[in-house]
Amino acid sequence: MTQRRKLTRWLIVLVFLHGVVAAAGFFAPYDPVEQDRERPYLPPMRIHLIDAYGHFHLRPFFYPLRLRKGSFDQYEEDTASAVPLRFFTRGADYRLLRLVPSRLHLFGATVAARVYLLGSDAYGRDQLSRILYGGQVSLLAGLLGAGVTLLLGALIGMAAGYYGGWRDDLLMRAAELFLALPWLYLLFALRAFLPLTVSPLEAFLLVVVVTGMVGWARPARLVRGVVLSVKELDFVRAARGFGASDLYLLRSHILPETANVLLTQAAILVPQFVLAEMTLSFLGLGVPEPMSSWGNLLASLQQYSVLVSYWWMYLPALAIVPFFLGYLGLASALQQRSSAYKIDGESGWSPT
Amino acid sequence: MRKERSYTRRRRFALSLVLTCASTVALTAKGLPRPRQTNAQEELLALPGEIGRSGGRLVVSLRGEPKTLNPLTAVDAPSREVIGAMQADLVHINRSTQLTEPALAKSWKISRDGLQYTLALRPGLRFSDGHPLDADDVLFSFRVYLDESIHAPQRDLLIVGGKPITVRKLDPQTLVFQFAKPYGVEERLFDGFAILPRHLLEKPYQEGKLAQSWAPSTPANEWAGLGPFRLKEYVPGQKLVLERNPYYWKTDMKGNRLPYLDELVFLFVPSADAQVLRFQSGETDIITRLGAENFSVLSRQQRGFTMADAGPGLEYNFLFFNLNDLGEKPSADFTRKQEWFRNVKFRQAVSAAVDRDAIVRLVYQGRGSALWGPVTPGNRRWVNAAIPHAPRSLERARTLLKEAGFSWSTAANGETTLFDPEGKPVEFSILTSSSNADRTKMATLIQDDLKQLGMHVQVVPLEFRSLLDRATQTKEYDAGILGLASFDADPNSDMNVWLSSGGLHFWHPSQSHPSTTWEAEIDRLMEQQLATAGYDQRRKLYDRVQEILAQNQPMIFLASPDILVGAKNSIANFHPAVLEPYVLWNVEQLYIRNGPENASR
Amino acid sequence: MRYFLRRALHAVFLLFGVSLLTFLFSALTPGNYFDEMRLNPQISKATVAALRAQYQLDRPLPVRYLHWLNAVAHGELGFSFAYNSPVGPILWVRARNTLLLTITAMLLAWLLALPLGVWSASRLGRAPDRILSGTTATLLVIPELVLALGLLILAVRTHWFPTGGLVSVGFESVSPLQKLQDLASHMVLPVTALVLGTLPMLVRHVRASVAEALQAPFLRAAVGHGIPRRKLLYGYALRAAANPLISLFGFSVGTLLSGSLLVEVVMSWPGVGPLLVEAILARDLFVVIGGVLLSMIFLVGGNLLADALLYWADPRIRTAASAK
Repeated sequence: MTQRRKLTRWLIVLVFLHGVVAAAGFFAPYDPVEQDRERPYLPPMRIHLIDAYGHFHLRPFFYPLRLRKGSFDQYEEDTASAVPLRFFTRGADYRLLRLVPSRLHLFGATVAARVYLLGSDAYGRDQLSRILYGGQVSLLAGLLGAGVTLLLGALIGMAAGYYGGWRDDLLMRAAELFLALPWLYLLFALRAFLPLTVSPLEAFLLVVVVTGMVGWARPARLVRGVVLSVKELDFVRAARGFGASDLYLLRSHILPETANVLLTQAAILVPQFVLAEMTLSFLGLGVPEPMSSWGNLLASLQQYSVLVSYWWMYLPALAIVPFFLGYLGLASALQQRSSAYKIDGESGWSPT
Repeated sequence: MRKERSYTRRRRFALSLVLTCASTVALTAKGLPRPRQTNAQEELLALPGEIGRSGGRLVVSLRGEPKTLNPLTAVDAPSREVIGAMQADLVHINRSTQLTEPALAKSWKISRDGLQYTLALRPGLRFSDGHPLDADDVLFSFRVYLDESIHAPQRDLLIVGGKPITVRKLDPQTLVFQFAKPYGVEERLFDGFAILPRHLLEKPYQEGKLAQSWAPSTPANEWAGLGPFRLKEYVPGQKLVLERNPYYWKTDMKGNRLPYLDELVFLFVPSADAQVLRFQSGETDIITRLGAENFSVLSRQQRGFTMADAGPGLEYNFLFFNLNDLGEKPSADFTRKQEWFRNVKFRQAVSAAVDRDAIVRLVYQGRGSALWGPVTPGNRRWVNAAIPHAPRSLERARTLLKEAGFSWSTAANGETTLFDPEGKPVEFSILTSSSNADRTKMATLIQDDLKQLGMHVQVVPLEFRSLLDRATQTKEYDAGILGLASFDADPNSDMNVWLSSGGLHFWHPSQSHPSTTWEAEIDRLMEQQLATAGYDQRRKLYDRVQEILAQNQPMIFLASPDILVGAKNSIANFHPAVLEPYVLWNVEQLYIRNGPENASR
Repeated sequence: MRYFLRRALHAVFLLFGVSLLTFLFSALTPGNYFDEMRLNPQISKATVAALRAQYQLDRPLPVRYLHWLNAVAHGELGFSFAYNSPVGPILWVRARNTLLLTITAMLLAWLLALPLGVWSASRLGRAPDRILSGTTATLLVIPELVLALGLLILAVRTHWFPTGGLVSVGFESVSPLQKLQDLASHMVLPVTALVLGTLPMLVRHVRASVAEALQAPFLRAAVGHGIPRRKLLYGYALRAAANPLISLFGFSVGTLLSGSLLVEVVMSWPGVGPLLVEAILARDLFVVIGGVLLSMIFLVGGNLLADALLYWADPRIRTAASAK
C-alpha cells in the first residue's frame, strides 16, 4: 500500500515539474531570445520587502541595476527608483504548448525595467526564462529519445523472445554489438559528420533519433527475458492451443506483462537521454543559438572569465536536479513494486 | 721609420678622438639605432633604450603547438611567433614607431627609377652556430623564397609587376635587388624575410627536402638563425625552449651584447582560458592578445602583474556573403539566396541594421572600436576619416530593402518575415569559427539584429580550418564572419584581400578577371598604389579604395579589438605595440628586474 | 577452458562487427581528406601517395575494409590534420592520461564502495543505512556535468587546487617526489568528480547484492556456528554476492576510456575525451575513428574480463559450462 502511495507521490512531483516546464511561457517573465544589450551578465536581482529607507511594502519590489561608473560589468542597485513586481501580468506573446496564444505571465515588471530573478547572460537574456524554455527542449529530447528506444527495444525484444531460434540468436548478437558501442562517442561523431547547416528543429530531431537508435539493446534484452518467461505460462499456451494468432498473443497476453519492465526502463532512460542531449549541447553539437537547452546554458561556463566572475551561470545545473530526483524516485518505486525485479548489473542506472 | 710611427700615432689619436666623440653623440642622442664597432670584424647594432641586466628566463604561453620552425612553410600563428624570436631580416619595421630600421642590412639605397635596391650587409656577423654570414646566404634565402615548388607563403610578396624580383651579389657584403616595376612599399618589403643559413639548408634544398626541414623536433645542431634566441630543446606536447644566441648582432647603448635573457620558454596551452590560468598563477610571465573578458578578470586582481591596453590594433572583423560564380553547381535555393546577396542595397541594409556599438560593448567590453572600413582607428596614417560612420538605423535598412523590392508580412503568431521580390522568405546561415568566442558572439548579435528586419539567420559554428575551406575552396556557404589582422599597417599587406585575383578576397576569391566594375576599379587602384612611391599619392589612392568599399559593402565591417596584454611586474622594458608580435617584438631588450624572487629563475 | 575460448571467440567476433560499423561510418562520410592533405606543403607527396595506397580509395568497399583492418592490426591508425602527425602516438599519449585518471578513480570508488555497501547491508533499515542511502540518492540525481562544473567553481574560488591541466610549468626540473605531488594535486579534482559520479551506484549495487546474500540460509547457519562478524560479511556474504558485482566490475573496466569524457573536457585534462571532441569539431576523421575504435576495444575487453573473472570466481558457472 505504501508502495502505491510512494509511486503516486513521485508521479505527482514529476507531473508538477513537467507542467511548469510545459507552461514555460506562463512561468517565464520574458521571451528567452529577447536580448537586452544594455544589461549583459546581470547578477540575480534581489527582491525586497523593505526599502532603503526602512519602510515595509506589502508588494515585493526590486531596484533596477545599472552599470557602475567606469566599469563594463559591475552593477549596482539604483535605489532611487523602486519597481514593484506585478503578478499575473501581461507580457510578451507566447503560445502555450504551441497552440494557445496568450499574453499572461505569472509575474513581471514594467516595460522599462525588467526583472532578472536569476540574472542575465552575455546578451542580456533573462536566465530564468531560458532555463524554463531550455527545459522544454531537453526534457522533450529525453522523452522522445526514450520513447524511440523503448519502442525499438520492445519490438526487437518481443520478436526475439517470442520467435526464438535463429532470429533470437541474431537479434541478441546485434544487441551485444550495440551494447559494446561507446554510444556517446558515436553520437558525437555521427552528429558532427552530418551536414552542419540544419535548422534548429532538424538538429533537435536528429539528436533524438540518433540517441534513440543507439540505446535499444538493453531494453530489448529485458523485454526478451520477460517474453521468454511469459511464453511458457499456462494460459498463454492454452490460448495458443485454441488457435490464437501470434499477433493476438503478443498484443493481448505478452505485451501487458512487459509493461512493467518498459515503464521502469522509461523512468531510468529519460534522465539518461536528457543527459545525452545536455552533453551534446554543452559541447556545441546540440541545439544551436538562439535556442536554449540546459546543456548550452552551461556551455558558457567553459570560459574561465565566466567561471570566475558570473557565478549565476551555474544555476541551470541545479534546475536539473529536481527532475532527476523525480525520475529516480519513480524508478525505484516502480522497481520495488514489481517483485519480479532484482537489481542486477543489467537493469541499473549506468550513464555510459 | 720614426716619422711614420709618429704619423700613425697621431693618426690613431685623431681616429680615437673622433670615435669617442661619435660614441658620445650616439650615447646621448635618441632616435635611430647607430652601428657600433666592438672589434674590427663585427659591426653590431646598438639599440637605444633602458639598459638592463643579463640573465633570467622568460616563460610565454603559446596557444597551440608550432607545426614547424621553417620560415618557408610556417603559416600558423604559433609557428610564426616562435620563428620571430629565432630569425632576423635585412630591414626591420620597428613595431613601436611603425617605421623601418636597418637590421642585417646596415644601409640601403634606392635607385632613382625605383627599380634597384642596393643593400649593404653588416660585416662580420655570424649565425647562431658561429658560421659567418655573407651575401651568399641572402642569395640562397631569396632563391628558396621564390622557388615555386616550395610554395612559401611569402612568395607572392616578392612578385612585383607580375615578375619575381631578382637578387644578385655585388660583393660579399652588398646585394642588389631588381624590381620589374617601382614598388610603393619600398624597403618595408624586407621585413619578415628571415635570412637562412646556406651551410645547413643547401643540401636539403638540392635533395628536395627543404619544405620538410626544421620540424620542431630538429636537433639543435641542425638549426641556425640570426635571431636573438636559438633552439635549445623541444618537448612535444609541452614546451619549446630557446636559449640566448651568443652571436647576436645587437647590443645596448653600453655595448652589452643582447639579448639580456638567458632562456625563452614557449609553453603550449590548449586554449585562451588556459593561458589566463597560467598567467594568473604565475607560471607564465607574459600574456598577449587577451580577450576583453579575461582582461577584466585579470585587471581586477593585479597581484604582481600589470595589465595594459595598447590601444586599437589592426584586426578588422567583417561579415561577408558568398558572391562566387558557381556555374551550374548550386541548387535553385542557393541561386535565389545569391540574388539577394548580390543586390548592393541588400548588403547596405544589413550594414545599416548591425548594431556595432553593442558589438563593441558586449564583445569587447568597450575595449574596441566600431568599424565602417577595413582600416582601424589604430592605423592613423592610412585611415580615411571621410568615410561616413552611419549610426545604426533600422528605418534606413527597411527603406533600402523596400527599394530593392523586398516586402514584409506578419504571420499569425506575430512573427514578421522578410520576403524577397519573388515571395520567398529571406533565410540564410552565417558561418563562424567555433574556436573564436568573440566572432560567435558577434554572429549571435547580428542574428538578433537581422531578426528585427524579418530575416531568419542561423549561426553555424565551424572549426576554423573547415570554415576557411568552405570559404576559399568549396565555396559552400551563405555568409561568414571572419577577421583579419594585417601584419603591417601598410595597405600592401592586404593586397591578397582587395585584389579580385587574391586568395583572401573572401566574397569571391581567385577571380581570373574582376566580375564587377567596382572590383576592377579597386584592382586598378591597388596596383597603382603598389607602384607609386610617396606616401601622399598612395594615400589618395587608398582613400578611394576605402570609399568604393564603403559604397559597395562586399564586406560589412564590424569592429576591431584593442590590443590587450599583461606582464609580470618583474619584466622590464615592457612596451606593447599594436603590430604583431605585440609583446615580444623587443624580446632582445626584455629583462628581469632586480629582486630577491627573481634571483634564481 | 572451452568456455573461455568460446567467450574469447565471441569477443573477437564482436570486435569485427564493431570495427565494420566504424569503418562503414568512416567510408560514408562526405569530403575527401586526401585532397586537403595534398594542399598541405609540409606533407610530402610520397606520404600522401602512401596513405592513398593504404586506404585504397578506388577499390570496392570489402577490399578497403580488409586493407583497413590490416593497417589497424599493424598499429597504423591514419593521419591527423590538426596535429600534423600520425594518429597512433597522439592517441597513446592521451589514452595514457585518461587511464591514469580513470584507473585511479575506479580503484578508489571500488575500495570505498565495498566496505560502505557491506556496512550498509549489514545494518539494513537502520539509521546508518538510511543516511547512506539518502546520500547516494542525492549524489545520483546530480549529473556528472553538474558535479564537475561545481568542483571547478570551487577550485577557482578557493585556489586550493589547480584549475586544470596535467602538470605545472617546470615539471621536468623538479625532483620525482615533487613531480608526484604536482601530478597528484592536478588529479584531485577530476578523480573526485569521477568517484562521486560512480560511487553511489556501486554502493547501491553492493548493498543490494550483499543484502540479498545475507538472507540465504547458509549464512544463518554460519552465524549459528559462531563465525565472527567481519569474516561473515566479507568472507561469506560478499563472496556469495560476488556475481553481479563481478559483471559490474568488468563493465567498469569497459568504460575506462570513454566514461570520463565530460570530466576531462571540463577540467582540461589532456585525455582522450578532449581529443575526440576537438577532432569531431575539426572533422579530423582518423582521430575520431581511432578514438572510437580504442574505446570499443576496451568495452569488449571489459566484457571478456568480466566473463573470465566470473568463470574463475564462480564454480557454478564452471560446472554449468562443462556440463554443456
